[in-house]
Amino acid sequence: MCGIFGYTGGSQAAAIVLEGLRKLEYRGYDSFGIAARGESIQVGKKQGRIPEEGFDIKNLAGTAAIGHTRWATHGIPDDKNAHPHRDCTGKIAVVHNGIIENYALLKRGLVDRGHRFSSDTDTEIIAHLLEEVYKGDLLAAVQAVLPLIDGSYAILVLAEADPRIVAARSRSPLVVGIGDEAMFAASDMTPILEYTRRMIVLEDGDVACLTPAAVEIYQKGSRVRRNEEIVRWSSEDVRKGGFRHFMLKEIFDQPAVFSDAVRALRKEELPGIIREAGMVTIVACGTSYHAALIFKYLLEEQCRVAARVELASEFRYFPPPLEGLVIGISQSGETADTLMALELARLRGCPTLAIVNVVGSSLTRIADASLLMHAGPEISVAATKSFIAELAVFFHLVDIMKQGAWAHHLDSAHRAIEEALLLDLGPAVACCSQAKDIFFVGRGAFYPVALEGALKMKEISYIHAEGYAAGEIKHGPFALLSPETPVVAVCAPGETYGVMASNIREMKARGTPLILLGEKDDRDLQEIADVFIPLPSADTVSGLLSASVILQLLAYHTADALGKDIDRPRNLAKSVTVE
Amino acid sequence: MQAVILAAGEGRRLRPLTKNRPKALIPVANNPIIDYPIQALLECGIRDIIAVVGYRKEHVIRHLNRCDAPIEVVEQKKQLGTGDALRCAAPQITEDFLVLPGDNIIDAPSISRIMAVQNSVLVKDHPYPSNFGVVMVDREGVSCIIEKPEHAPSFTVSTGIYHLTPDFLHYLTVNTLTDAINGMLADGGHLGVVQAGEWHDAVYPWDLLGLNRKVLRDISPIKSGSIDRTVVIRGPVRIGTGATIGPFTLITGPAIIGNDAEIGSHCRIGPFVSMGNRVRVEPFTLLDQALLMDDTAIGSHSRVTEAIIGEGSSFGDHTTVEPGIPLVEIEGTLMRGRFGCVAGDRVRVDPLCIFQGALVGNDVRIRGGKMITGPDAFQDGVMVV
Repeated sequence: MCGIFGYTGGSQAAAIVLEGLRKLEYRGYDSFGIAARGESIQVGKKQGRIPEEGFDIKNLAGTAAIGHTRWATHGIPDDKNAHPHRDCTGKIAVVHNGIIENYALLKRGLVDRGHRFSSDTDTEIIAHLLEEVYKGDLLAAVQAVLPLIDGSYAILVLAEADPRIVAARSRSPLVVGIGDEAMFAASDMTPILEYTRRMIVLEDGDVACLTPAAVEIYQKGSRVRRNEEIVRWSSEDVRKGGFRHFMLKEIFDQPAVFSDAVRALRKEELPGIIREAGMVTIVACGTSYHAALIFKYLLEEQCRVAARVELASEFRYFPPPLEGLVIGISQSGETADTLMALELARLRGCPTLAIVNVVGSSLTRIADASLLMHAGPEISVAATKSFIAELAVFFHLVDIMKQGAWAHHLDSAHRAIEEALLLDLGPAVACCSQAKDIFFVGRGAFYPVALEGALKMKEISYIHAEGYAAGEIKHGPFALLSPETPVVAVCAPGETYGVMASNIREMKARGTPLILLGEKDDRDLQEIADVFIPLPSADTVSGLLSASVILQLLAYHTADALGKDIDRPRNLAKSVTVE
Repeated sequence: MQAVILAAGEGRRLRPLTKNRPKALIPVANNPIIDYPIQALLECGIRDIIAVVGYRKEHVIRHLNRCDAPIEVVEQKKQLGTGDALRCAAPQITEDFLVLPGDNIIDAPSISRIMAVQNSVLVKDHPYPSNFGVVMVDREGVSCIIEKPEHAPSFTVSTGIYHLTPDFLHYLTVNTLTDAINGMLADGGHLGVVQAGEWHDAVYPWDLLGLNRKVLRDISPIKSGSIDRTVVIRGPVRIGTGATIGPFTLITGPAIIGNDAEIGSHCRIGPFVSMGNRVRVEPFTLLDQALLMDDTAIGSHSRVTEAIIGEGSSFGDHTTVEPGIPLVEIEGTLMRGRFGCVAGDRVRVDPLCIFQGALVGNDVRIRGGKMITGPDAFQDGVMVV
């Protein structure tokens, strides 16, 4: 889960690569580095984030460069482990995103043959392996080395006497952007959008040769053609505009994201495998897992279709007996565990569906059918609008299975999100920002909403937060409740309201500060709540959306009040492309 | 040249419409008011635009992000006044600049005229000068500006648009821009006068109907969406993508219908009607001089004239809205204005209600068969049974 970016063209490459890396920082920000090819290969690298100014690129002259922004997996984040890595002669430079599984073995061999390693990374072996076979043709050298490597990689390689950038991928994302007398390669489209919208998504096993004028792609040694896609995302979408954080921008994008997603989905033909599904298994990680849990409740309650939600990382190793449709859901479409899980389902002969936000991402390539969530580029590490877009997809599927009975709920749901954005959460934020632990509780489909609320809170504010099904509180966590542990409870009207209200009263008896989300006119809740937040709307769809958005805002404002680095939470990266 | 757009204030006199958005974001002819000054600036070649935001700032920023030109945003933490707002932008000001309100409508020729005169104010004669800063002019230029005088000595008012130099920033020790200008004048500074062309401001909510009429006059017709072949369209009408217009409906321009709007059969729409995105109008309904914001719905067999209706509101079947001239209290002053109704966001009205000169708050719920006049339902969130 690092970000890589390469450029070859008519301009000074290092400056362009540095700008591009800034846009990839959400993928990792432990360290960064650039290699530029001028007279010789020059490398500049540094631990930490890319500074706003003061990183000197003057000595990185040349019109071709590769860069890397790192999220450490092998070797601690410091200057020497920062990419790019070079061979013993310093004539070859490599950047790499992924993990090389047989690196220890390869490294022993290389050390025995006299190579000197200057870092602890798995990446450096690629440079040394290339050194052994490089005879002036970089493409041939890369093609010779790749079969030796097991694992996942997207790499970019520069060599001193070779005018090209060579790129290759296997199970890590890599796209090529075709500019005007300039060629780009990057982990995703965001840094390229500024220059061109013509993209080629490389496939596993592809090796690409980039020169300013052309890109040549090889698969198993022979030249292949890959279709060019014109990407509709605009560079404005990846600009923060006047917002202080991408996360806030993306939270405020959500009404439009939801209604655009619903409209776009209605125009698409639904893959037949969904309608025929008798049993559905959904594999996902993190925020997508919570969206999938909401879907499970709705599918079972509203459509009487049995559904099962599995954490992709567990499913891979402990797959349950499988039947029926398997859905993999991932914003980036590159989440390693979800990819493997869906691959496994496919090998077991199940029909598979991918739900992703990124066109042409790996997940869509292994699935039988795919749906796009239409969220637009999401930059914030803490997922917000992709969650809402995932819900849009799921609500749409429920609507289809219910023969359009939810259509009018979906039409008006963006208004509920808009209304949630108008709420003043000041008192709730004041309560949360002093806490060390916060509990989030809900019942039914609001239970995953509580889980997601807790996830957002811990992710960006670093406050320990736990989501529970309200009934489970009594089976243990109750022991932790005290006047110092606020409870955020979603108490929407419906079947579970009565029992939820009595749960809340029990918590109140322990002196726990209560932040309650409930129906606007609910006097009972208003009386027992320390902070009452009115839920804008009554129907299920609007209720789920507005509660989710309110909890996102609560996490955001709490983190902001505590002065945390919201767009770059510590130790986290946007897409988890390693296991 | 730089331009500073002041869009931090709420515009309390326009409540209930400004409860959920600042005045600058109120849509007129389906574009937020702030789009008009921005458009005028861009037409005059000004690209270095700074917007000062404050009240509901996220909403303003979100809108500015969707504009063609990149606009720099600075925040005014507390809304102390226009002078303070300009002070927030001062660190960004490096050359001659225009300062202009984000909640007034201005045309490009006026902007290009004031660009030519350094240290000047754009003025206009107005029949009710007491709502504005009245500009006193002598042979030299402006002698002083009197803010909202009870008895105005002249009909010439300031549009709030100035062409100033960075030197002026020293005078920003006071909270209102008018005071700072007067300070500069008292100090012997010179301020020239430039006449404005089209400049319009809405002081009270019902003024938006007039603003809407004026802007609609200049629209060019575009027809998208699916329009039944029996529909009759007269005059300039804009219909957005995805909109559907049912059979036998008559639309008289100027009128503008947003994207994905749905208009039933046998309706009569216009003239001077603006309808936002996803607005729904049921069959047999008449709309005349109306400003319907996004996601509003009007039931069948209704007659709605001179109405302003906020986002997400829905009015039931057989609604009647007709003009009245009620006496209403706005920010402590009793006022009269002519309008049918001004309703906030998410108002829900059951069938068979009559509105005459009614000011209706946000989230108000009105049961069937009620007659609402004046401030009967002005409080946000009330239920009228």
